[in-house]
This record gives sequence, C-alpha cells and structure tokens, in this order.
Amino acid sequence: MLDRPSWLHPAFRLIEGGEGAGWSEFRWSDLAAMPQNPGGVVRADRASRVLAALAAAERAGVGLLLSRRDGAPRDWTAPPGFSVTLETSGTTGEPKRVRHDFNRLRGRLRGGPDEGARWLLAYEAGAFAGIQVILTAAFTGAALVSAPGGGVADLAQAARRHAVTHVSGTPSFWRAFLMALGSDVPPLTSITLGGEAVDQPLLDRLAAQFPAARLRHIYASTEAGAVFAVADKRAGFPVDWIEQGVDGVALRLRDGVLELRSPRAMLEGSGAVGDGWLNTGDLVERRGDRMEFVGRLDGLVNVGGVKVSPEAVERRLLTAPGVADALVTAQANPITGFLLTALVVPVPNSDEAELRAAIRRVTADLVPAARPRVITLTDRIPLGATGKKGRKAAS
Amino acid sequence: MTDTQPMLAVIAEELARIVADKGETLPPLTPNSVFLGGELPIDSLDLATLLVVLEQRTGQDPFRAGLRQFTTVGELAALYDMAA
Repeated sequence: MLDRPSWLHPAFRLIEGGEGAGWSEFRWSDLAAMPQNPGGVVRADRASRVLAALAAAERAGVGLLLSRRDGAPRDWTAPPGFSVTLETSGTTGEPKRVRHDFNRLRGRLRGGPDEGARWLLAYEAGAFAGIQVILTAAFTGAALVSAPGGGVADLAQAARRHAVTHVSGTPSFWRAFLMALGSDVPPLTSITLGGEAVDQPLLDRLAAQFPAARLRHIYASTEAGAVFAVADKRAGFPVDWIEQGVDGVALRLRDGVLELRSPRAMLEGSGAVGDGWLNTGDLVERRGDRMEFVGRLDGLVNVGGVKVSPEAVERRLLTAPGVADALVTAQANPITGFLLTALVVPVPNSDEAELRAAIRRVTADLVPAARPRVITLTDRIPLGATGKKGRKAAS
Repeated sequence: MTDTQPMLAVIAEELARIVADKGETLPPLTPNSVFLGGELPIDSLDLATLLVVLEQRTGQDPFRAGLRQFTTVGELAALYDMAA
C-alpha cells in the first residue's frame, strides 16, 4: 500500500453519501486504492476524490487544479512542483484561480489529535473553506461526514444521522441549517462561522440552541489568509485589537477601511498598500467597545456567502433587449443576508413576458446568488440628490 | 388565536410563483410544511426571495429587529399576522 501522507492521521475516516441513499466509509487504505491520474485537473465534487488527488499529486510532486465546474477547464497547465490551485466563486464569467503552496494550506491547521470529533462538510469540497475543513479532519484524526451535492436538508439529515460534533459554515448556511434542523439537533460542541459578517441575533440563537458548544467567528480572505477568530459570542471584534493587534496580526483603520499586516497574508496579491500593509476593502465602524463590519468599499454585497457586484449585474441587465434602464439593489433579508433585486424601465410598447425572458437570458450564466430574484417594472428610476442612482443597500 | 388563513394563501401563491420560475411545481402547502426540510423544492435563496416579496406585498417586515425563529409555513404566517 502507498505511504500515508504526513497530514493524514491514521484514525481519520470519511463517511460520504453515495449516489443513492447509502453511505460509504473511507480509511486511508480505501483512498489510496482509488484510481488516480496524478496531478492535472480533478473535479472536486467529492471529499474522497479531493483527498486521494491531494495525496497523489503530493507523491508525484506535480501541481493540482481542484475544479468546481464540470468540463475541462481552459488554459491550465500544471505548474512544476506540488501546489494546489483552487477556483473562487466569482460573480461573473470564468472563476478566478488562486494557487496555494500546500505547506501554507497545511500551516493553517491547528490543534492536536481529536479522534472523537465528527466534522460535517458544509462547504463545497473544492472551495478554500471546504479544503480547510477536510484537512483539519484528516490532520486531527477525526471523522468527516460529507453529503456531496446535497442541499441544507440533506446536510441536516446527515448531521443527525452521524451525530456530528463540529460544523463550520457561513452565517447564511447556519440560518438555513437551524431552520432545517428544527428541534431535532445534533450534539454540536464546536460551531464556526466565516465568509460573511456575522450578526448578533444569529450568535444569540446558536448560543441558546447549543449552550455547551464553543462558538467562534473567523475573519479571513483569500489575500489575507486567516486573520483572527472571535470567541466571545459577540458580533464584530474588540476595539482594543486595533491598538494591540491580535494573533500576530497588526490592524489599523484608514478612512473607515480595515487594513492589516499579517504573516499569513499573500503580499504579491491585490490590496497591498506598502510596508507590508494590506487593504481588506472591508468597511468597519466603532460601536461602543466593538468594531463592526458594515460593508465593502468596492460596493460588493454578500448574498449567502457569495460576494456579488450589484453594478456589474446592472450593466448586464442593460444589455437585455427591451430594457431602457435598470437599477440593481441589495435587499436585506434574514436568510441570505442580502438578495439582489432590480427595478427595470422597459422601452415603450415592450411585452412584459418577452422582457422578463430576455432578462433571464442575460443573467443565465451568473452564479445563482448574482441573479436579481425580484424584478419590478417601473416607468422611471429615482435619482439621489447627487444625480446618481440610489444604490444604497436597503435594510 | 390569530386567523392565519389569508397569510397562508399569500405565502402559497408567492412561493408557487418562485418555484414555477425554476420550472418546478409546488406540492400542496399546509401550516406544518417545513420550508427547508427537504419536502419543498426550494433552497435558501428561494426562501430569501419569498421574504423580500412578502415584505413588498404586505408592507410588513417582521424581521426588522433581527432573525425570528420559524421553520414551518404556519410559523411564518403567524409572524406576519403579529406584525400587522
């Protein structure tokens, strides 16, 4: 049998849902026996495939692209040496690829063996956050429960059936997960939130439902890596961290935007502002003894964990035949944080059904979170005092 | 006890429209239908859409003060009836 990778604990096991209703259990020997084409492109639709591909690419010393879409990706050749390239879920067009040194991915792993832990994979296996969960479970010798391709109802069933103890997900995931679970909840001892700003009502509900669980929210980004974790069950982070830094990271505010200097940041990437400081693009405000996240400098809004650009979607609507003008805004809601809605001015004498079909066509290739979900026809779009469209997020 | 029938009908109508937009059919709703429990062909973006549409239609936003617990159609209808 092939040697077990150093990052995979001998006690690790993967419990993965199959095509039907069945579950399969994988130990290292099962993963090692999976057919491999080392390096190159692997469709990252199952945790088992991701783990086997990582081990094979590491052994062969070649680059690996974990693809999140069906079909062969264009313009990719494996770089020399072992590295892992992930695809981000971009708003429009082709996904962005970010190449990671595997030692840096592994370097984020913390904690000793925890063989009693049972993790639920609530992210896509090929997403950065999904890889973190998979590697954490593998490294600590835990069990990992995965229901590939399932919705939140399948995840809730899997969580109950396998009595998971550790779950990491976005705040939008947690709101939906709590709804899907109802009162029949798994024995959670560790709850992690990330990928979106977290709100206090959600933290309060999680704390009430799982009083014994460790509850933390993580602030991280592709460029900055994992920045800090907040474990006091309150939204935002302590004002003191701006002065004192946290976990080896220095923080400062420039015009309301959070900047940071971190040993875990990628300094060659976008956002570098000199002297090792990185502009996060996240707007923060002081409220009492807390700093709270209030939005994005670039106008991006977070729809269920996916950052989308209302302006980019609006430009897309303006290309639809029959659309004279359009305004896309982000509407706050308690499930996905925000949702895109559109006001559309039709050209005179246009047919409403045709117009709606045209709008559907021009937004069909956007990720679901970027499609305006409520489209209201109007005869004019109100302009703000500056003469610009009022795009401020409605709440 | 509040009469939630009119609100149930509004929820059923709007949810049917959202589901039809996806090319699927909504099974008959009861007050005990669970939104994200797997019996209805909807995901969390669909549920978010329903709440935005209900706010536009009723002028009520029972979630203004933060997340209120609801799992079933009947529980959501009751939140709007209390807010009205």
